Amino acid sequence: MILDNPDQLIVNLVQQGLDLLSGFPIVVLVLCLLLSTVPLIAIFPACFAITTWLERKGLARIQNRIGPNRAGWFGLLQPVADGIKMLLKEDIVPRAGDQLTHFLAPVLLLVPAFTVLAVLPFSRNMTPAAADTGVILFFAIGSVSTLPVFLAGWSSHNKYSLLGGMRAIAQMVSYEIPLVLSTVTVVMLTGSLNTVRIVEAQQVSSWVLGDNAALQILGQVLKWNVFTPWGFIGFLIFFVASLAEVNRCPFDLPEADSEIVAGHLTEYSGFKYALFFMAEYISAFAISGLAVTLFLGGWSGPNIRPWWSDDPQALLIPGFVWFFLKMFALILAMIWIRGTLPRLRVDHLMGFAWKFLMPLALLNIFVAGAYYYLPRWIGWPAGFVVLYVCYEWLGRINRGSLGPKRTYRYA
Amino acid sequence: MNAAFLILSLLAVAGALLAIRLHNLVHATLSLMFFFVALAGLFVLLMAEFIAAVQILVYVGAVGILILFAIMLTPHVTGENHGRLCSRGWIWGLAGAGAVFLILIAPVLLMAGLDTPPATAALSPSVREIGLVLMTPYGIALLVMALLLTAALVGAVVAASPPARDKDEPKP
Repeated sequence: MILDNPDQLIVNLVQQGLDLLSGFPIVVLVLCLLLSTVPLIAIFPACFAITTWLERKGLARIQNRIGPNRAGWFGLLQPVADGIKMLLKEDIVPRAGDQLTHFLAPVLLLVPAFTVLAVLPFSRNMTPAAADTGVILFFAIGSVSTLPVFLAGWSSHNKYSLLGGMRAIAQMVSYEIPLVLSTVTVVMLTGSLNTVRIVEAQQVSSWVLGDNAALQILGQVLKWNVFTPWGFIGFLIFFVASLAEVNRCPFDLPEADSEIVAGHLTEYSGFKYALFFMAEYISAFAISGLAVTLFLGGWSGPNIRPWWSDDPQALLIPGFVWFFLKMFALILAMIWIRGTLPRLRVDHLMGFAWKFLMPLALLNIFVAGAYYYLPRWIGWPAGFVVLYVCYEWLGRINRGSLGPKRTYRYA
Repeated sequence: MNAAFLILSLLAVAGALLAIRLHNLVHATLSLMFFFVALAGLFVLLMAEFIAAVQILVYVGAVGILILFAIMLTPHVTGENHGRLCSRGWIWGLAGAGAVFLILIAPVLLMAGLDTPPATAALSPSVREIGLVLMTPYGIALLVMALLLTAALVGAVVAASPPARDKDEPKP
């Protein structure tokens, strides 16, 4: 029966549909191609629309405003209104600029943003491209996104755009290092670069396959990488570095809207401008999805087997529900941080990546190695203690002097 | 020879030719990167997924950006106000290109007489194989490289830290 496993309902339905067409291999091939790409291209822009509304509403509440409330119920149609406005706006290209690359930059920026989504495991058997090299592929394709940022800055023929692009690239290249180093620990302890394997390694399979419902719930939560010392610090480094990687506050210097207008996208208008923001939000989804996969257990969450089912792998709540819940929790944290923290200064930004995050990520790799060989009851507390000491030590080294004490004669 | 190979090689050759012929340096770099991506596609066809990923990571993500950084600091990017480059050395260029072409074509011609090995349907997980080979026979080379890269990373941190202030220098 098809309802035996609600988790796999969509996968099974699709599989049965494809089985009906097995006489036409070309049709099946085309359908498979469409099935693994169209949902990504349809769902994530929809998430983008919802997130713009969430962000505007959330920031407004943090700042004691109401936020968009005219278009639709609670302003929910605001993204539609914004989209129509952006589409109807005039597209201005600087006359001295490079026409071709000015057009190519926003398009090229969307390509890696969408492509990296393919390696994320949204649920069991729901990975568009379950490559053996998933994690490396993610970073390889993600690293291409520095190129269109440069092109946008250069093709505008505007020195402020070019400087903005240069700053953006410097930031993205710098923060890629702690980002990748923090994932090394997960790859080391899982022994695989495959994202599906990484998620499966974060479940206690004997508990999940057992009969005890409480153990089934615990078995899908307790082994998340974030509950280990290296995973905890790794997750924090990954999250902070991913904020910088997708130009979110407090690292949004490349487009600091209140100070330098918009950096590399100063000369963009209309729908090209909207495409830049779409690419930025979709990379934010992708990198949060990777954080969920690597540290927060991917599709596994507090979940039980449906009582009517005999299939030992059946799950009551579909895995992608947990995946998207966790992903949106990270996005909400990003919005919260944007409403709370001020922007960093550019030298502090670089110093933070090179002098604090990178050494901490390197030390984290050593701790992960020790954790692997030590018995758990020593490794777990000792790992936390060592990493806390490292954190304090690095913080103290980087603190810098406050300068001579100021005296205020007339105050 | 299948359709994917033909398309990818055509794209690669077109990208390489454009990279040489275009006068605008940024356009040339762009087509060079296009060539790198097509090459990564060819690696995927050879079932070398890992090499393809590294090809994109290193060449498009790092080398290409480095070239662009260098170009950003040069004044004449468009190449219009310089006319044609001095083309006196075309004989040497032709000789060099011919030599490279011969080196590439010679093994193919020599091996044409041999039996073609049967095409393998699937390879064992390549990343695991590469890891095992790197850690066992080439372990020392890997360690040396790791030391070198760590030194480079530490050096970058040292270069980023502010210089020690002289005693005579006025305090800011």
